[in-house]
Order: sequence, then C-alpha cells, then structure tokens
Amino acid sequence: MSQNKPTIDFGFSDVPIEEKVKKVKGVFDSVASNYDIMNDVMSLGVHRIWKRHTIELSGIRPGHVVLDLAGGTGDLTKAFAKRVGKTGRVVLADINESMVRVGRDRLINEGIVGNVDYTIANAEALAFPDNTFDLATIAFGLRNVTNKDKALEELYRVLKPGGQLMILEFSKVTQPLFAKFYDFYSFNILPKMGKLIANDEASYQYLAESIRMHPDQDTLKQMMLTAGFDKAEYLNMSEGIVALHRGWKF
Amino acid sequence: MQAQPNLALISLSKTIESVLNTAIRLDDMQGEAFKALDDNVIELTLTPIESPLYFLITHTTVSVQTTLQGEADAAIQTTLIDFASLPIQRQLPHAKLSGDTDLAQRFIDALCSLDIDWEEQLSHYTGDLIAFKVGHGIRTLLGAQTNAKQTASQTIREYLQFELEAVPVKHQVAHFCEEVQTITDEVDALEKRIQQLQQTQTST
Repeated sequence: MSQNKPTIDFGFSDVPIEEKVKKVKGVFDSVASNYDIMNDVMSLGVHRIWKRHTIELSGIRPGHVVLDLAGGTGDLTKAFAKRVGKTGRVVLADINESMVRVGRDRLINEGIVGNVDYTIANAEALAFPDNTFDLATIAFGLRNVTNKDKALEELYRVLKPGGQLMILEFSKVTQPLFAKFYDFYSFNILPKMGKLIANDEASYQYLAESIRMHPDQDTLKQMMLTAGFDKAEYLNMSEGIVALHRGWKF
Repeated sequence: MQAQPNLALISLSKTIESVLNTAIRLDDMQGEAFKALDDNVIELTLTPIESPLYFLITHTTVSVQTTLQGEADAAIQTTLIDFASLPIQRQLPHAKLSGDTDLAQRFIDALCSLDIDWEEQLSHYTGDLIAFKVGHGIRTLLGAQTNAKQTASQTIREYLQFELEAVPVKHQVAHFCEEVQTITDEVDALEKRIQQLQQTQTST
C-alpha cells in the first residue's frame, strides 16, 4: 500500500478509499443468501422490533413515495409497500446486486408487486431528482458507506421539503456493564456463529468491527445537521445497541 | 434524545393488525367491504388509551400504526372493551365519529361484516365430523346462554313489578304519562285564560 494513498476504515483495518466499496460488496455477496436467518440468530429476533419501531415512527401514509436505501432483503420495503398503497411507491435501493436480487425475489414471492421499484444505487451519488421522496430510510447500511457525509447530503437532496430521513444503525451501548458483555458477544460469539451458520467467520468479524468504527449517537446527529438537515434527533433502542436517528428537511 | 417509544401501544397496534388481517384472510368474502375504503386512513381512539391508532387501508390489507404524518380521513372514538367485543356484538354502539363520518361508518360496517366460518376452518385440521360436533356444541352453548339471559331478565322483572311492586308495569307508566299530559294541557289552558282575564281587566 502506498504511503500517500488516502485510506479509510474497513472494520479495524485501513484500506484505500476506492477499495472499501469492493470489500463491502464482497462481504454482502458472501452473506446475502443467509442474511435474514443470520439477522434473526444474531439479534435473537430483536431486529424485528427495531424495524417495527422504525415503521411505527415513520408516520407513513397512502400515496407517499419512499426510498429504502441499503434496503437489502426488503424487510422495511415490504412494510412500506403495504402502507403506501397503489397511489404510493417504494424504491428498494442497494449498492449490492446480490442483496437486491434476494430482496426482489422474496417480495415477489410474498405478493408485494406493482408499487415497488428495485435499483442498484450508491448512497454517495443517488440517481434521483431533488425533492423526490417523502421518506428515506437506511437501516443497517450507513456504517458500510465510504463517505457518510456525502451520503447524508445526497439523502437530504432527494427528500421533499417536509420529508424525513430515518437511520437505523448499530450504535454505542450506553450501559457500561452491558457494553462489556456486548463486546464479548460481538468479537467472540458472533464470528463463530457466522462460521457455524453461514460458514463465513471473516464477514461477521467485519460486521462486529464496523459497528465499533461507526460514529456514536451524538456524532451522527451532528453529521446530519452539518449535511443540511433542519432538525435531527435520535432514539436509543436496547440500551444503545441500535439507535434510530431521524432528520427532517423543512 | 427522544423519549422511549410506547412499547405497549406498538404491541397493541401489531396485535390488532395481525388479528384483523387474519380475519380478512379467513372471511367468506375475503374482506370485500374494505375495498371501498382503499387508500384511506382511519384514526381510532380506544379509551382509556389516550394515543390513537391509525388504520391504513390499502386494497384488502389493513396496516396499523401509532403515528401518522398529517390528518386521518376519518376518526372514531370508542372504548377498548366495545372494540374488543365487536366480533361478537357486531356493532360499536357508543362510537363517536368525526371527519368523513360516512367513511368512518363504512369502516365500522366493514369490520362488522367480517364473517369467518370457524367450522370450515377447523375442519381443515380436525376433519368434518369433529368440526361439526365442536360447532354444534358451541351453538348449543350460545343458545343456552341467550335463553338463560332472557329467563333471568324476565324473572327479575316480574319479581320487581308484581311481588315487590317496586317498579310499575308498562301500562301503568303509560296511564301515568297520559294523566300528566292531561294536567299539563289543563294548566296551560288555565294560564291562557288568566292572561286573557288580566288583559280584559287592564283595558277596562
């Protein structure tokens, strides 16, 4: 690696900036087929409650246009598509083709058709016009984005005035004793479970490391305000394992 | 940081959503009545719970959530008990409707119209014979319950009216009301006559 090349975190390692996208893609190509089952096992099913909170707080209604960025296997898209009805639209976007394919097949199999579009999209350069969406969500995806500030600016740009961004992401545990247990679980149990269930220890080691490198609650809130959001707030869930950040464009 | 979300309310919304969509799926008409409510939002307040629930109806799927951007198209206020007993009572007797009241009434009618053939559903698991016997047993039980209710009501009424003579019978009440009406008319007539006499006296 050249000394002059700018680098960025990839888990606990530093990689050249242009390589992070490829490496993240590699991780998600590897876990795509087992992504849902692993989420259930890793979070003991609690990720469903976190996502349900997100849906509840969105306040979404029929006719709304929604962007589910880093939508992966389509958990949020499915709920939003039912709510926006035939007069609304949901766009499931992900940088990883394998994840979009898994999500698309899953939703079609469950009868969710007609008001969902699927696209491959880079969060740092969204191919949508300004002021397009009533709601944008990015669930468990922002920590994998190379330039988070740029992604937040793009999300602000594509939101309609009055629109809302919801970021559901692993964050910093607020309870010190629980934080120690959580660290042990993340670095000792989680990768082993990844090996056992998905035969992929390295990818799950990366997931644990990337969570620790992600900005904490207050830092991310400040980043949202700097990106242009007129109001930002967050809500800790499960002692801060996950935080739901919400930003509004007025 | 925001306040923690109301877990109990979110659980309630999720439970109502699951039960309602299961009922629509099992309904004889597959929730046909909900089609007329497509793309509408109904706000439902179930006292004593203060926070409302929002019912988003899209095609024949109902999504329930605790927050909504903007106003609902119609609002219904009723009690949690009345709402919970709706599948049996088939009505929401004390509901207060606001906003698009016609839409609110159609939503109530759609809920009341859900008709699940439990015997048919049960027969998928137990076979026709057992399902029929269970259904017959439940119908007999419900019939006996209705009869017992009617008999008890009649016995109490007769005891109060004829044994204790604590309350009047229907025709006594009617006769009393007639007499009150007669007296009222006579008093009115007398009042007018007095007024007339007073006017005559003033003019002379």
